[in-house]
Amino acid sequence: MRWIAASAVALALFAQAAAADTFRFTAIPDEDQSRLIERFSKVADYLEARLEVEVEYVPVKSYGAAVTAFRNDQVQLAWFGGLSGVQARRLVPGSRALAQGAEDAEFKSYFIAHASTGLEPADELPEAIEGKSFTFGSKTSTSGRLMPEHFLRQRFDAAPEALFSRVGFSGDHSRTIALVEAGTYELGAVNYAVWEAAVEDGRVDTDRVEVIWSTPSYPDYQWTLRGDADERFGDGFTEAVREALLAMDDPELLDSFPRSAFIPADNAMYAPIEDVAEDLGLLR
Amino acid sequence: MNEATQPRRPTWLAGSAGGPRLARHTLTLVALALLLMPLADLSVITRDPWSELGRMLRGLAWPDFTAVESPFQALGLTVAVALWGTLAGVVLGFPLALAFARSRLVRAGCAFVRAIHELFWALLFLQVFGLSALTALAALAIPYAGIFAKVYAEILEQTPRAAAEALPPGVGRLSRFLYAELPLAWERPAAYTRYRFECGLRASVLLGFVGLPTLGFQLETAFREGRYPEAGALLWCFYLLIAALPWWSHRRLIPLLLVGGAFLLGPWPAVDGGLLWRFLSQDLWPAPLLDGEAAELVNWLARIPELGPAIGHTLLLGLLGTVGALLVALTLWPLASRHFGTPATRLAGRGLLVFLRSTPELMLAFVFLLLLGPSMLPAWLALALHNGALIAFLAARHADGLTPGMPGLPASGRLAYELLPRIYPGVLALLYYRAEVILRETAILGMLGVATLGYYIDEHFQYLMFDVAFFLLLITAGLNIAVDTLSRRLRPREVPLEDPCLR
Repeated sequence: MRWIAASAVALALFAQAAAADTFRFTAIPDEDQSRLIERFSKVADYLEARLEVEVEYVPVKSYGAAVTAFRNDQVQLAWFGGLSGVQARRLVPGSRALAQGAEDAEFKSYFIAHASTGLEPADELPEAIEGKSFTFGSKTSTSGRLMPEHFLRQRFDAAPEALFSRVGFSGDHSRTIALVEAGTYELGAVNYAVWEAAVEDGRVDTDRVEVIWSTPSYPDYQWTLRGDADERFGDGFTEAVREALLAMDDPELLDSFPRSAFIPADNAMYAPIEDVAEDLGLLR
Repeated sequence: MNEATQPRRPTWLAGSAGGPRLARHTLTLVALALLLMPLADLSVITRDPWSELGRMLRGLAWPDFTAVESPFQALGLTVAVALWGTLAGVVLGFPLALAFARSRLVRAGCAFVRAIHELFWALLFLQVFGLSALTALAALAIPYAGIFAKVYAEILEQTPRAAAEALPPGVGRLSRFLYAELPLAWERPAAYTRYRFECGLRASVLLGFVGLPTLGFQLETAFREGRYPEAGALLWCFYLLIAALPWWSHRRLIPLLLVGGAFLLGPWPAVDGGLLWRFLSQDLWPAPLLDGEAAELVNWLARIPELGPAIGHTLLLGLLGTVGALLVALTLWPLASRHFGTPATRLAGRGLLVFLRSTPELMLAFVFLLLLGPSMLPAWLALALHNGALIAFLAARHADGLTPGMPGLPASGRLAYELLPRIYPGVLALLYYRAEVILRETAILGMLGVATLGYYIDEHFQYLMFDVAFFLLLITAGLNIAVDTLSRRLRPREVPLEDPCLR
């Protein structure tokens, strides 16, 4: 009995320490998550120095968890993908897209194919992909699911399930590459930035898997801040966050995203994503 | 026509004794599985999985412990969550066990909370408490409370009545329990709680898969991104943790672990009543239902994924998994039993069982996915091996407690005539208990693209359509309760459940 009491006291003390007004941010887990905490803690340190409030990074495991944390005010700022950002801004009225990566204004997805399919790079998706097996990335990924599915439907006027013999959801971009490279799925759709980084690092055997088509460009990742940030952290806080993000120029920090720089963004830029998501029934 | 010419049914078909009944059950199960197998998509599509598999094996053989980010924190938290989650389950479950036999409401409530997988509880609590210790503890404690209530109640039911009957009339339920039942039954709830703690450890690792910072968090990421030396290091940490369980979970060490664990748990969320209320009163219910618009409700229902095939896939995978687990268990248990082999083979056998039952199914399934291609086959193998190994481990322990009565029999004879007949009823009883667990686990294999109910539940959590997810969870729970009822009715009754861990 004594130790139950002792640990209850310890627990109560511990619970007390957790409540303080800290500015928290998260990032959707879309690719390399090694040393995630270490890398993003540096971003937190940077923001802390610029914003003069305590800043903490909150790691999450899924796109959905990132949106939920944002909605529940467990984080106030988040690095979202196109779709997760739209979901989040719908759920938290008043929240704003502040900045995007320099690459995000013109983002694209690659369709990749295993060598055994014999498919060649082309300007248009070849008819021959019909009846093959295909994997998306995460179900709510913009570049791994939403936009690839949109362009597939545009081209073939059919749902992916009708077009392909099998449709899978690998969970993330790195895994899509691994599965197509192993021939488990013959085709896949992947974020172009992740693909290029993987090729550069020699993590892909390009003899066995190659890019056969690149989608037209669309807007993707962005930083989104809650609308009540000024209220909680002082007037002008939203602008201060935007400036801090735009001024980030340390390559070590930018590599975590991985982007070359951040440029301004606003909610209206993401209207096309919203429309596509509504069409596909991913938003309501 | 006289008696003699009438075709006689073989005794195993006709007999009502224990043996023939067991044989009939087993054969019916296997036949059913074979009959339905054509409905399952079991095609093998492989191209060149070997380079990826080679990388995995190398990772497991040469783990890189330096690549792991704060391994002790993750290990500590895994133990802390399992320990406190189990303890909270006991605290909640014990009072329920006392009311279990008398209250239909308590029984139904317990069946419901048991029927939902820990991971789905975690996903529900995540919406309110975020990534916090509270989410982790609640996700373990709530289903475990249901399980403890049921198992403790069953154990109490089997305690000898003499002591209780000797009490004067009018003695309250609590006093009767404290003075006449608990002292007699003490050993078995304690043993069961220890076993449940091991399950809690595995569940605690799994919670990392949805983002709580236990071992599973880094394990899932490292594995998913192909950093196999790091994944191997984390897996080895977990295997050692499970294999060393009997030593470090000594009764005297538990208070120390509990207090130490309390300091690792965290962060604690500031519980926000508004969030909780919004989730319970709005998020979980279809918007048209709350607004009272009947026409819209029809639209809402039309958008629910087709339930028929989803339920079909779930049940089929559950059945195949159960039968597969039986076959795996029957093959593997002799490897770990003291009656067979040499000390070296037994050590290897036990190692294999620890390996199979501690590796999360999701990972086994991913290995098979690479090896065999996308179909129901990887999910089936993963379920069969994981659960089969668990049953084999318990069966071997059961067999180790028996003394063969016929010395001089060769090993095969000892297996066929002495040990198997004695442990088989237990194995089958255990299998019927596991059937429900296997059905629950089909849910988390949805990510392989097998369109089980769990696949759609996960999908709608991702789309943030909690009302649909919750609706599907209710259906899953109903299905699990139905299967549990059926399997309880079928399980061999004559089995003396002397070892509560056989469940």
